[in-house]
Order: sequence, then structure tokens, then C-alpha cells
Amino acid sequence: MTVLVLMENNEASLQTLTLARKFGEPLRAVHMEAVQPFAPDAIAAILAMVADDLDVSSVFAAGTDRGNDVMARLAARTGLPFAANCIAAEPVDPVTVVRQRWGGSLLEDALLRAPRALVTVPPYALRVTDAPAPIDVDVKPYLTRIEPADLQVQVTGHVVAAGGGVSLAEARVVVSGGRGVGSKEGFAIIEELAGLLGGAVGCSRVVTSAGWRPHSDQVGQTGTKIAPDLYIACGISGATQHMAGCKGAKRILAINADAEAPIMQNADYAVVGDLKEIVPAISAEIRKLK
Amino acid sequence: MNPIAAAVLAAVLIAAVALFGRRSILIYRLIRMGKPVARFDDIRARARAEVVVVIGQSKLLLRMGPGLMHAAIFWGFIVLLPTIAIAMIGVVDQHATLPWLGQQGWYALLVDVFALLVLAGVITAFVIRKVQRPRRFAGSHVREADLILLLIAGIVVSLFLWHASQIALGINEYPAAWAPISSLLALALHHSWTPYLERAAVWAHVLLILGFLVYLPYSKHLHIFLAAVNVFFGRTRARGRLEPINFEAPTDSDVRFGAATAADLTWKQILDTVSCTECGRCQDVCPAYNTGKELSPKLLIMALRDQLLSGASTPIVPNSVTDNVVWDCVTCGACVRECPVGIEHIDHIVDLRRNLVMVESRFPAEAATMLRDVDRASNPWGKPQSDRAKWAEGLGVRVLKEGEAAPDVLFWVGCAPSFDERARQGAISTAKLLKEAGVDFAILGPRESCTGDPARRMGDEYTFQKLAKNNVRTLNEAKVTKIVTTCPHCFNTIGNEYADFGGRYEVVHHTEFLAELMREGRLKPLAGERTITYHDSCYLARHNDVREAPRELAAAAGRVVEMRRNRERTFCCGAGGARMWMEERRGRPINEERVREAAGTGAETLAVACPFCTVMLDDGVRTTDAKLQVVDLATLLAEAVDRRRARDAQVSSADG
Repeated sequence: MTVLVLMENNEASLQTLTLARKFGEPLRAVHMEAVQPFAPDAIAAILAMVADDLDVSSVFAAGTDRGNDVMARLAARTGLPFAANCIAAEPVDPVTVVRQRWGGSLLEDALLRAPRALVTVPPYALRVTDAPAPIDVDVKPYLTRIEPADLQVQVTGHVVAAGGGVSLAEARVVVSGGRGVGSKEGFAIIEELAGLLGGAVGCSRVVTSAGWRPHSDQVGQTGTKIAPDLYIACGISGATQHMAGCKGAKRILAINADAEAPIMQNADYAVVGDLKEIVPAISAEIRKLK
Repeated sequence: MNPIAAAVLAAVLIAAVALFGRRSILIYRLIRMGKPVARFDDIRARARAEVVVVIGQSKLLLRMGPGLMHAAIFWGFIVLLPTIAIAMIGVVDQHATLPWLGQQGWYALLVDVFALLVLAGVITAFVIRKVQRPRRFAGSHVREADLILLLIAGIVVSLFLWHASQIALGINEYPAAWAPISSLLALALHHSWTPYLERAAVWAHVLLILGFLVYLPYSKHLHIFLAAVNVFFGRTRARGRLEPINFEAPTDSDVRFGAATAADLTWKQILDTVSCTECGRCQDVCPAYNTGKELSPKLLIMALRDQLLSGASTPIVPNSVTDNVVWDCVTCGACVRECPVGIEHIDHIVDLRRNLVMVESRFPAEAATMLRDVDRASNPWGKPQSDRAKWAEGLGVRVLKEGEAAPDVLFWVGCAPSFDERARQGAISTAKLLKEAGVDFAILGPRESCTGDPARRMGDEYTFQKLAKNNVRTLNEAKVTKIVTTCPHCFNTIGNEYADFGGRYEVVHHTEFLAELMREGRLKPLAGERTITYHDSCYLARHNDVREAPRELAAAAGRVVEMRRNRERTFCCGAGGARMWMEERRGRPINEERVREAAGTGAETLAVACPFCTVMLDDGVRTTDAKLQVVDLATLLAEAVDRRRARDAQVSSADG
């Protein structure tokens, strides 16, 4: 029986084919770009119509954000059960699947009782196999049959994240401030230094608790985990909960008035002194070099 | 005998019992639908709870005013129970009464006195509700309560009028002198219409009682019947223990991954919901509610009851209870401790969490790191296990190697003291004091792993059990018999929960152990000048009744002042129930609330006995700029021992 696959331009979709092939021949493909801009309900509507017209045994997609988004909507509109993030599946009745839970730390054996199996495959769980590519379904006739309601949810634009466009998690330089910064306004010098270095601004939990910075800036166990080449921690004592968030940093420069602060032991470079003098001084030096 | 009266009474009685019965059967069936939970063991402890909590009204009397009010009404009802039969006989035959009891003077006196007490109770209740208006009633069915109070008032007033008119007419079966209040009333009732009043009063009395009976099962006042039942089936074992999930159940459908819908609740949980009387004592003491968060333990139980009675099979979360409510809880147990009808809120919260975490994989995202790291790295910060004994470097602490048998005492350090700079000090001081007292002890070092407490309180039972079984194997292999730990969470988990996985040890908290060493004279402290206020950890003071040993240590180190909320009524630091691993986005920070209370005592030192309280309260001191130093009791004791040694040295050198 025919198997339908929702394809994206990525490795994960090719990996998905490996599992999809076990469920039958031929493989037919609908592409995520069939509807532009991305509108998950519209794609789901097309998949539902194609699946009925071709009487497919199952529908597969990569377990990406968009793949799972569309498949969940497909499941909801068809009333079919959906098994997300499966790393293995057997096309028996009922379908047996092994799926990832917990971001991969737990594997669950489950049975999928459905007239048509809806399955996604998590990225990088399976190898890409050499086999003919699936045949594309001609989606043109279906595009005209999309209801306006299915275009209610769609991408209308892309907004670059605040913080100079550098995301905290991916920044190569992070300049963080702790309680030692003293106030919301005190972060001006931290922002200045981060801007000069093309880095992102971070902070400690105490700072978010005090309302000086949004939670999205927090580095730590319960905040963002960062792995920059350089981490500049200003007025941060370095509690375990904070260090858990920056242990991926290659180099740590700590600036703190207290030489005994735990962060001083964990830092590659430590400056003991008033951050309100030292941070602007560094910024001034960088400006001179530029 | 009046045959018409008898016929009318019979008809009304049958109708009332039928209406009462119909609703009662529905509620009984609802409870029977519940999933199994073992609550028929330990009948003795259950009977004891019945005597203390129900008959003795112990939990209600924790609040003297409302407690006495309730006790007056409750005891009054018990005493007045036979008057229902007496009045029904009186309705049918004016000149008859209950054989023997109806003629007893002493019983007439009791009825007179207790009826007055009930009336006083009702008036007090009205004053509390209408004048005082405590916040704990926010969200309760206030009008329902008003109606109930009016009914009770009506029942008692009609009883007095009936007795008084009987006495005025001289048809009382008991000696009138024994009923002083009714006799006094009777003085005003020598009228031509008194015979009618007598009939009207007795009929009113009986009809009000039957109306009351019918109304009860349709209202929150069902607790009149169910509170005693719910208290009887309450926990008899350790309060800090959670019911384990049996992952090895014979079939998959026997495994209950917490509660997704009302059909997943246990019968005790269903009984909890219909027992709730909406008094709001739980809400009044809840740290989440008191800091402006969404959770109110009372509204949670009411929401579950509403869903149960509606018969809806939709998921509980987020339809009846929001995700925020589920995650706001610190599992401090204040609500459970306070509840006069034996509701166990934590079990509900944890079951909802179990479903969200294990089935839906839906929980505050920031906690995922902790769950992953306790699983993979055996500690919540993902630190290398090989660093676990680093804190003890230079202290001469023995690290127990594989294959070696444990000494007298195993010091279970816990993750926070092993890895956190601030939490570490308590462990270092404890180790020093154990050495000072000559205790033969060792630590497990890299072989110790997280007990699983944070994972379990998050609802990740699977990870918890994996860690628990692993730790039990290590402890049993080393033939450990006695464990000392500085962490109340480790203390609770190993002491109360590991028995379910084959781990049975004598587990002692360091404050208890050090207090004992002090009593034996093996540690000699000298109290200093500083004022100390001690913050009780929930998992010590409330879940495990460790309250006085920490105070002995504090008193040995300085001058102790108490916070308003102390001992079993302590206020959480905000870290329990895995909240340590979540961001506190709603309301005011709990730790700051507690720090302000501590600062209000004027103490210079905030003594703690828990590594998580240490971190939370120290953070709170920083953000509130309080003039307080957060110190573990072990450290305070170590200083006191040093102080004594220094003084002794001074004295002996002065002597020499």
C-alpha cells in the first residue's frame, strides 16, 4: 500500500524515509513548501485529502517542530491517533512503535491502533538509506480546495530576537551581570560591553528575581545554558545554580569585589575590584583598539 | 396518639430519607469508582485519629476562636442526637417520650446546656463570617454556609420553644428543674395559645431536621458525615511518604501514571473532594497562595469535586485545574497538616504532576535540566560524580570503598552540600563535630547519588525509582544500619520512602544526632551573645516531627527568638516539591516573605537545618537587603564548641 511522506529540505526528512519504506510501496511525497508562507493547517488539509485519494496505509513526517506541528493538526482533523518521535515501528496490526520521550532519555514501547498510522521520526535517530526518492504528489488541484479557515494560522513575518540579534544560547561572547551591578540602570555598562564585543547580555537568578532583567536573560540551572568562547561574569558570586548554566563556557573572566566569591575559583581570569570602574575601562580600551 | 400526625410524619420521613438516600448512593458509587489504595491497615492508629481529630476536634482547636465555635456545635449535635427521636415521638403523641432517656433530668440538663452552646456557636460563626470576614473563605460557597447556619439556629430555637411550652403546659416528661433555660423561657409562655405553640415548635423542629438531612448531601456540609470517614482512612504511616507506582504491574493497564482524568483518582482522593467543607484553613497557610500565586489548595479540591460530580471525562489539567496551579505547589504539607477533615492535598498534586510529566511530558521547561541530570549524572547540577567528596578534602573524612562494610554511622551528604558552595558549610561543620565527638563514620563519596526526591516531587516517578533502587543496592551492599544526613529531603526519602524498595535503615537528621551527642556530653558548647531565629524546614518539622532537637542546638549556640510561624506551622523557604528547580514567575518570592518574617524578630542569625533552605533564604537575604546571616545549625554548634574550648583554655591558663 502507498505510504505518504511530508518532506522538508533537511536531513531529518531523508532519515524519515528509512522508516517509511518499511510500511509499503510506493512512497509518495508532499512538500512542506507546497503552501507558502508556512501554514500548518493548510498542509494538514492537503495531507488529509491526498491520504484519502491515494488510500495510503500511513503518513510519515520528520519529528521537527514543523513536522510535529502539521501532524498533530492532521491527527486532530482526521480523528486518527498520532505517534510522535518514533525511532522504530513495525507495520503489523496493531502497529508497534518505539518512541522517544523526555527528549530521548526514555524509550517507550507503544501500540498504535489506527486504520491509518500517523508517525513522525525524530532527527538523527535513523540513518539515511540508499533508495529511490519518493514520487511527488501533484498538489496543484488540492491547493484550490484549501478552506480560508486553514490559512488562519500562517507565518506573517520574521522578527529578529532582542539583544542585538545575538541569542544568548548561541552567542560567542556573553557578558553577565549579577547583584553586584546594583540596579536595572546599572546594566547600561554591561550592555555597552556586550555590544562592543558583539555578544549577548546575561544575568544571574537574583537579578531576574529583582526584576532588573527579563527571565530570558538568565544564565543558570533554571535559565539558559550557554557555551560561549568567553564568558564575562560581572558582580556574580557564582552559586552552583548559576555555574550549571555556564559550564560550557571555554573561558571565564570574573569581575567581583569579593576575592572569596566562588566564581573566582572557577574563573580562568579574575579581577578583584569594582565592576562599575572596571567594565567601562574595558569598554574604553576596546574602543581605542577599534 | 394522633394518627393523622403519624401518617404525615411517616410520609415526610420516607420522602426525606428517599431524597437523602438517592444522593448518598450517588456519592457512594462515585467513591467506589475510585482506583485502589491501601487504607484498611493499622486500624488502631485510625481509631486513634478518630478520637483525637474528630471527637477531640484537635485540628479545629488549633485556631481557638473558630475551633471552640465548631466544637460547641459538633459536641452539641452529638448530645442532641436522641432529641430527634424524642421530638418525633412528641409529634405523634404529645404525652409520650423516648423510654427512660426522655424522662432523665440529667439528660434534660445536658440538652439545655448544649442547645445553648450550639446557639452560641452559630452566633459566633455568623460573627466570624459577617463581621470578621477572614480571607480563607475567598472562593467558598458562602451563601450555602449561611443557609446551613440558619437551619441550625432554627433547629435549636424550635427545640427551646418546644421544651419551654411543654414546661408551661406541664406536660414535660422530665423534671422541669433540670432544664433551667427552658424553664426560664416557660415563665413567659403562660398564654392561651401556648398549646398551639407547643405543636408548632415540635413540628418545626422535626421538619427543619429533615430538611437539614436532605440538604446536607447536596451541599458542602456533607462533611458532617464524611469527615469522620475521611479522617479514619487518612495516612497512618509517615506523612512525607508518597505512594509508589508499581511499574512491574502484571498488565500495562494496571499501571496508573498519576491522574489524567477524574476516573484516575483513588477512592481516597474522591472521598477527599466530597469531604471538603471549604473552611479555607489550607488556603490560609499555603505559601503559594499567600504570595499571590494561582494555587489555593481549597480551590483545587473544590475543582476536582466539581469535575467528579459533573461526570466530565475531559483531562483535569487544564480544564478544571490549570498547569500553573499544579506547579505552584512546594509540597510543604501545611495544608495537609491544617485540614480538619483529613484531606491529603499533596497526593492530588503529585498525581496530576505524574500524569503531566510521564504521560504528557508537559512541565516547566527549566526543570528538564534537573530531571535529565539526576538521571544521567546522579545529581541535579550535572556535576561530575568524581567531585562528590571534594568538599571533605583535608577534613580526614573516610570515603567508604566498594566491598568495605560501613562503620557505625554512614554520613549521607546529599547533592547540595556536596556541590553547592553555600550548602557545603553545614556538612563541613557536621563532619568536624562528628570527629570531635569521636564518632566512627564514613561517607560514600562518588558512590552516593541523588536520592531522587526532586524527580519524585516533580512527578517523575520513573527516574526516582531508578535512583532509589540504585542507592538501596549500594547501601545494602555496604550493610549500612544507621544513616546521618544534613538534608531533610534525603532524610525523608531514605527514612520514609526507601523501605518500599527494600531499604530499611535508622535514619537520623544531623540536628537530632548532634543534639544527642551534646546530651551525652560528647560535645560541649558555650552559648554566645548572638540572637538566633530558627527556620523549621517543612520536611523536618511538618513531615517528620523533628522540631525540638534543632532548638536545643540553637539554644546551645545563642539566644533564641521564635518567628510567628514556627514548628509544625512553619512557612516554606520556597524550594520544596522540586520548586528549587523551577523559576518563580508568579506572585511574590516565597523566600523573601520568609526572610522578612525572620528579620522582623530582630535576630542577627537565621539558623537553618537544610541545604536548600540555606540557599533559598540566603538568596532572600541578598534580594531584600535584610541584616541577617543564614547559618546551618551545625556551624553554629561548631562555633559554640570552639568558644567553650577557648574559654576552658583561658581558665586553665589563668589557673596555671
